[in-house]
Amino acid sequence: DKDCLKIWESLKDAFIYKDPCNITSEDYQPLMELASHPIPCNKSLFWSKTSDLAHRYTKSNQNFLTLEDTLLGYMADRVSWCGDPSAPGINYESCPKRSECESNPSSVFWKTASKMFAEAACGVVQVILNGSIEAGAFRSSSIFGSVEIFNLNPAKVSAVHVWLMHDIGGPRSESCSGHSIKRMKSILEERNIMITCEDNYRPVQLLQCVRNPDHIDCRLCTNTT
Amino acid sequence: KWKGEGTTPNLESIVIGRCYDYIRILNPAVGEKNCSEIWEAFKNAFVNKDPCSILPKDYELFINLSLHTIPPNKSLFWENNQLLVNSFAARGRRYMSVGDTLFGFFADFLNWCGQPNSTGLDYESCPTTEECENNAVESFWRMASSTYAQHSSGEIHVLLNGSAVGGAYPEPGFFADYEIPNLQKDKISQIVIWVVDDIKGPDIDSCGTHTVERLENRLKALGYDITCTDNYKSVMFLLCLD
Repeated sequence: DKDCLKIWESLKDAFIYKDPCNITSEDYQPLMELASHPIPCNKSLFWSKTSDLAHRYTKSNQNFLTLEDTLLGYMADRVSWCGDPSAPGINYESCPKRSECESNPSSVFWKTASKMFAEAACGVVQVILNGSIEAGAFRSSSIFGSVEIFNLNPAKVSAVHVWLMHDIGGPRSESCSGHSIKRMKSILEERNIMITCEDNYRPVQLLQCVRNPDHIDCRLCTNTT
Repeated sequence: KWKGEGTTPNLESIVIGRCYDYIRILNPAVGEKNCSEIWEAFKNAFVNKDPCSILPKDYELFINLSLHTIPPNKSLFWENNQLLVNSFAARGRRYMSVGDTLFGFFADFLNWCGQPNSTGLDYESCPTTEECENNAVESFWRMASSTYAQHSSGEIHVLLNGSAVGGAYPEPGFFADYEIPNLQKDKISQIVIWVVDDIKGPDIDSCGTHTVERLENRLKALGYDITCTDNYKSVMFLLCLD
């Protein structure tokens, strides 16, 4: 059982009346403690540059959970906030972007929450990556590549399954044999976590096919009349 | 006391929160709405009354306060496939089902009822539709469905379950009794029917047969231009996910 009002108070206290460029992980600790809950093993689903697809997948398949399907992520998703030293302490006009200052309330929140989500993962974890972007499927500049992958606990997590998705009809910039996946492999192997990779994991591809039903990649195998 | 589940705990916080979620994040195009006022109007429809005496028109003020335009060509009606419809409609981005309107989103998946001689909600139990038809929830959805149909325009879509026991087009049913009668013929260009079977489910009904044939005839008799497709591919992909 969770006390929602207390959770709101702890979120508010994390940023109200503070300089919005000087937020730390510690500011969010009380909130993290109040709102966190255990994640069943084998259900954690990470994603990078595949937000829409990953979230549509968890909506349709209750066997997986992204951060945004946990209480903490669900509450904060698509919402923004920041404080200001002068009254009323909350700035409804504007908030600093990441490019203006890294330690802004939103960026720090998601970094902290992502770290916790990775730490809580156990068993086999899944990650949906985008093989159609130029910058590469696995990037060190992403939260997955810089925070989550390093906070998976080797004592709890046995393997990472990568589902490398190409946009239907989109460029195949990278596939499972690509450079960035090799890099990801070496990072995980060094941490004693096994990795497997599958190009265009079919169940997720089916979701892409909802919007492109007539594309050649979306032909149904069986002919039903 | 009653056979049905009681009012959803924290109902007030949930619906007011959903109202703000809707107008600020999900669909800000609807403009400014007074979420507290909407809650009050909703509550007053059924509190302090016999929970078996609630009528659709008791929700009139609630509807007036929460109504907004439904974009043409986006209406999606359905029977016996709510979860599928939610997936397919993509939270109003592809289609806007009744559950994707403010008034529908407000109450979807929730339960509520009042009691006589008290302004409190009954959290213990609520009457089922078998116990009495004129209960708070049933009347709400009758009102919401009628309103939704009345404000739909352009190309209308209907998603039916070809594996449903009793047929894809149920009569009585919400679509048959509250939606079709409230469609505005002069605002509708075409009605597109999709009959989709459960994966490995029985093919009980399809276009041109049984209840679907009845539906097609009814709509044609009313003067609508209709099409009907079995196992529409886009929806099939969603079913294949499981």
